[in-house]
Amino acid sequence: MPTLLELQQAMCRSLVLHDDVAASTLLAHGIPPDRLDIYRNTIGTGLTKALRLSFPVVQRLVGTDFFNGAAECFIAAHPPREAYLDRYGGEFPDFLRDFPPATSLAYLADVARLEWAVSGALHAADAAPIDLVALAIVESDDQPHVSFVVHPSVQLLRADYPVDRIWRAVLAGDDEALTSLDINAGPVHLLVERRATGVEVVPLDAPAWHFLADLCGGRPLQSALDRATGLDTSAALAEHLATGRFTAFVLAASGPASASRAAVA
Amino acid sequence: MFPAKSAPARPIPAKAGIGLRFQHHQAVLDERPDVAWMEVHTENYMGGGAPLRCLEAVRRDVPISLHGVGLSLGSAEGLDQAHLERVRQVTERIEPGLVSEHIAWSVVGGTYLADLLPLPMTEEALATVCRHVDQMQSCLKRRILVENPSTYLAFRHSTIPEWEFITTVAERTGCGILCDVNNIFVSACNHGWDASAYLAALPPAVIGEIHLAGHAVRPLPDGTILRIDDHGSRVIEEVWTLYRQALTRFGPVPTLIEWDNDIPPLGVLLEEAARAGALMADAKRETTHADAA
Repeated sequence: MPTLLELQQAMCRSLVLHDDVAASTLLAHGIPPDRLDIYRNTIGTGLTKALRLSFPVVQRLVGTDFFNGAAECFIAAHPPREAYLDRYGGEFPDFLRDFPPATSLAYLADVARLEWAVSGALHAADAAPIDLVALAIVESDDQPHVSFVVHPSVQLLRADYPVDRIWRAVLAGDDEALTSLDINAGPVHLLVERRATGVEVVPLDAPAWHFLADLCGGRPLQSALDRATGLDTSAALAEHLATGRFTAFVLAASGPASASRAAVA
Repeated sequence: MFPAKSAPARPIPAKAGIGLRFQHHQAVLDERPDVAWMEVHTENYMGGGAPLRCLEAVRRDVPISLHGVGLSLGSAEGLDQAHLERVRQVTERIEPGLVSEHIAWSVVGGTYLADLLPLPMTEEALATVCRHVDQMQSCLKRRILVENPSTYLAFRHSTIPEWEFITTVAERTGCGILCDVNNIFVSACNHGWDASAYLAALPPAVIGEIHLAGHAVRPLPDGTILRIDDHGSRVIEEVWTLYRQALTRFGPVPTLIEWDNDIPPLGVLLEEAARAGALMADAKRETTHADAA
């Protein structure tokens, strides 16, 4: 008699890899092996739907049939690792980049990366914005060592193609905007974040994006300021703080004199 | 056994409710339909943002039940602790009147097979499910309900009838049973069981909720028919009949209309819920008459 684990492993081989050899020997008398298809179909349909919800623009760019075919290959190669399907599909952009039938659409993987960032922003946990009063009373000697904790919805993305304009045009069904945009307009630097009204995709210029990327990466304030060129860092910082892009700050140890760390939510 | 805990703030009444899905979020917020309670899939509220905002707004007016679809109580390798923790967090935040999961499995070797897969009805599977129900109840510090599945196949080495399996889970762990009447009908048709006998074998005292839904009917090449629980249509007459039998046996129980595919306008769900509510009121009257006589 197979153990429960052996049975589940056999079912997994059947449902993911279409290898019914072991599973079919476990079925009761009179149950044909094609009954496994019922479960296989439900799983495939459910996961394809999850991918479609996260990558609607990719689907519209390639068409439903192509999308479903790509999804089937992706699901077999990357089945979900957890029962939290809002987070399923993180490897889909890289998969599309390496998917031979999709190579003619050079920007497709970048569009998928943007959609994954949008999906991440959409489903990110809620978090209260930074306590500006606590930040205001940080001693001036300590201010250079402030580093910020970024809001879970904030995502930064750099792409070789104008994927924000492609994304917007496809979502709006604006074929004219889509055909008229210059695919080779150069790289874009994007901020994706969830606001009260929904997820926003904001194009930034390169200096503003790099400054924000430094701060989001936990680089201490003074160091980020020192590296920033070509932008009004005071105005940029004020905007990041006012819009709740940070939820807390930490005083990073600056050297032997300052051994303590403090976190303020 | 689960640790004692005070009763939840908003208990689910013995009335008809509807499954709340994203497609109806705006309609529910705008129209505030007159419905006794609503149920959501726990897995759909594990993040933040708009869905959670909506649920928090709805729960101010309507008691909420949390119905999990991903914990995989039947996994041989144990529960995914991270997923259990997410379930705990949603439960803490929503303070539901009921929490439920399934007699099924969906995770092995770290792969999530996104469906409610059938368990072999064996002593090993029974012990596994009981262990995991215990863990879930300890983690959530409350009693849960477990739902009978719809199944399309059976395993050669199963030894325990499904109704006995789920009843034993309830006896050993102190959990309740979510009796899905449509699932009983579907599985009974698919496996040649007697649906009425299944109902009659369940202990009325632990039935905490009933599910009703539509299912698909698929003719097979050999001339037989397979019924598939797709939650994509109205409840069929045979299932309403079985529901009346359930009410006669169990008395009035919170009853949910589920709809997950080809989701119709909210009004259709409310019609189905009204029908369930009327049948429950009839059953209540009959019980009262019987008591008086």
